[in-house]
Amino acid sequence: MWRRTPLLLFVLLYTVVSGGPFIWVAVMSVRTTPEIFASPYALPSRFHWEKFVQAWAHSNYSTYFWNSIIVVSTAVVLITIFGAMAAHCLARYRFRGNRPIRFLILSGMILPPQLLILSLFQILLDYHLYNTLTGLILVYVAGHLAMTVYILEGFFAQIPQDLFDAARMDGYGDFEIFWRITLPVGAPALFTTVTLNFIVLWNEFLYAVVLLTEDDKRTLPLGIMHFMGSHQLDVGMVATGLMIAITPVIVLYALFSDTMIRGMTAGAVR
Amino acid sequence: MAVVAIDGLGKRYPGSSEPAVEDFTLTIGDGEFMVLLGPSGCGKSSVLRMIAGLEPITTGTIAIDGRVVNQVPAKERDIAMVFQSYALYPHMDVFNNLAFGLRRRSVPAAEIDRRVRQAADKLGLTPYLRRKPHALSGGQRQRVALGRAIVREPKVFLFDEPLSNLDAALRVSTRNELIRQQHEIGITTIYVTHDQVEAMTMGHRICIMDKGEVVQIGAPLEVYRSPANTFVARFLGNPPMNLVPIELGQSSGRLGNVDIPLRSWSPRALGHARTVLLGIRPEDLYETPPRPGDDLVPIAMQVSAVEPLGAETLLVLTLDDGTTDIIARVGRDTRLRIGERATVLLDTTAVHLFDPTTTRVIPRDLP
Ligand SMILES: Nc1ncnc2c1ncn2[C@@H]1O[C@H](COP(=O)(O)OP(=O)(O)O)[C@@H](O)[C@H]1O
Ligand SMILES: [Mg+2]
Repeated sequence: MWRRTPLLLFVLLYTVVSGGPFIWVAVMSVRTTPEIFASPYALPSRFHWEKFVQAWAHSNYSTYFWNSIIVVSTAVVLITIFGAMAAHCLARYRFRGNRPIRFLILSGMILPPQLLILSLFQILLDYHLYNTLTGLILVYVAGHLAMTVYILEGFFAQIPQDLFDAARMDGYGDFEIFWRITLPVGAPALFTTVTLNFIVLWNEFLYAVVLLTEDDKRTLPLGIMHFMGSHQLDVGMVATGLMIAITPVIVLYALFSDTMIRGMTAGAVR
Repeated sequence: MAVVAIDGLGKRYPGSSEPAVEDFTLTIGDGEFMVLLGPSGCGKSSVLRMIAGLEPITTGTIAIDGRVVNQVPAKERDIAMVFQSYALYPHMDVFNNLAFGLRRRSVPAAEIDRRVRQAADKLGLTPYLRRKPHALSGGQRQRVALGRAIVREPKVFLFDEPLSNLDAALRVSTRNELIRQQHEIGITTIYVTHDQVEAMTMGHRICIMDKGEVVQIGAPLEVYRSPANTFVARFLGNPPMNLVPIELGQSSGRLGNVDIPLRSWSPRALGHARTVLLGIRPEDLYETPPRPGDDLVPIAMQVSAVEPLGAETLLVLTLDDGTTDIIARVGRDTRLRIGERATVLLDTTAVHLFDPTTTRVIPRDLP
């Protein structure tokens, strides 16, 4: 019993450190700004649910939200499909030039995003994709493919070759094998990359702020900026906006956390 | 129903200097159970995978029913394979594992259902049809792997060491099960193993391989009785055949200070050789004479180990040179103990001779 105390203390501390700010924001999201300024850490005296309606309706928030949904889900779907295909090929086939190709793809992970932003800006302008959701989607896909391929390849390489050989003996071609063996067997890893990519892109700010300037194209992280006016910070509304933004991530986590953890530890335990 | 004809087959993996398989020629008859036997790394799996179409062929041809299939992709060869790892699809239940190959061949759903249930019934898998592989025991998984091959009703079955992941008892019962199934179904079968007991008990014929090449092909007892070289002699049989160098004299050989008559070999057969390897199986050495006759030669040796196995006892005997060990398989009621001197009787009609440089057998040429 006593031997577990340090672990329990650590977990407790970790929960306070990571859960505390979240609860604080959650509490502030139903309090008004004057209330918060009067007493930042107080519990709500009255639940101001109407702030959610206000945030949604009066500040273009619904547009941001749907923009985010469209951009992030399209990007995640594309990243997952192309990433899984590339990872399958790199993990399964010995073909001419597979090492340089792997190196090229994975070197995409090394470059800091800030470095690429001006060239991306210029490219999107040239192709009339600047200020479009399509442009941002393409940038997101290109930017996050490398990491996805890296994670998935590591996982796919552990799927026994015999499974693929068995499917070939059973009469299936390469594409069907990808579809019917790699994807279902690799599902835990796919959930992992889907969740990670979703969370990262859902919060992505840098590319969005540079590549989208029209208000009705903006995504959620930019929308939250909206409440941080140039003169005065509307803390209460920022908290409400954050809560709306966080909700999909929490839902995703609740749905997939089990599978995701299995994916992250796969191979550790045979 | 199919004849598999392999001619001059060779395999060289990219990046390796030695070929894994070289000049492999073998014809497997319709309905025959052929065993490929050899030590680990001798190229058995490579041969099997080339027959299956999973590995490209470097040289030579493989023909099924007279049609060369070198360029035919695996999925069109109509061959089913059972893997050592079983390779069950982990995300499908037993039913779907069995049905997977049939679906691709657009067999009607009712027919798939019938065949899967029939195979499951035959293999005692009916209660597990809705279970995923991870919820099955090793033996059950093995049977699913077997069932997956059976439902396909292919031209040829390939097995790659399918029993090596089972425990000893299960291995014996599954072995018998496999023999029965193959006998009933009568489909041409190529079975790879490194286990000589499996090879002896299962195969209609055995093809023994060493270092990527065929050493000997024949019926199990035929190969056991007349091994083509020292490799086969020692690979088949447990404990293996004793091989000791002897000095040749006039139609006899000298083992220590004992003369062993070699009446079945003419001087011409023995040629100019001065030393040859004498091969004698442990069961051809006796503690007490099994029959009256003059073809038993007594040899006195030192007992250096006694291994009672229950049904019989193995004696490890050391020749008077102090270095050469000979194993004899004697009755279980032997009274010999370590350190004693023993006289065992060598059956000279059961002796084999091998050329020490080529390792090939020196055939008998006299009746
Ligand atoms: N994919 C491969 N690439 C390179 N060498 C291989 C490959 N597969 C097998 N080999 C080599 O070929 C030889 C024969 O292997 P294998 O056919 O698996 O033997 P066995 O099944 O009899 O144990 C071995 O030396 C092995 O290292
Ligand atoms: Mg093998």
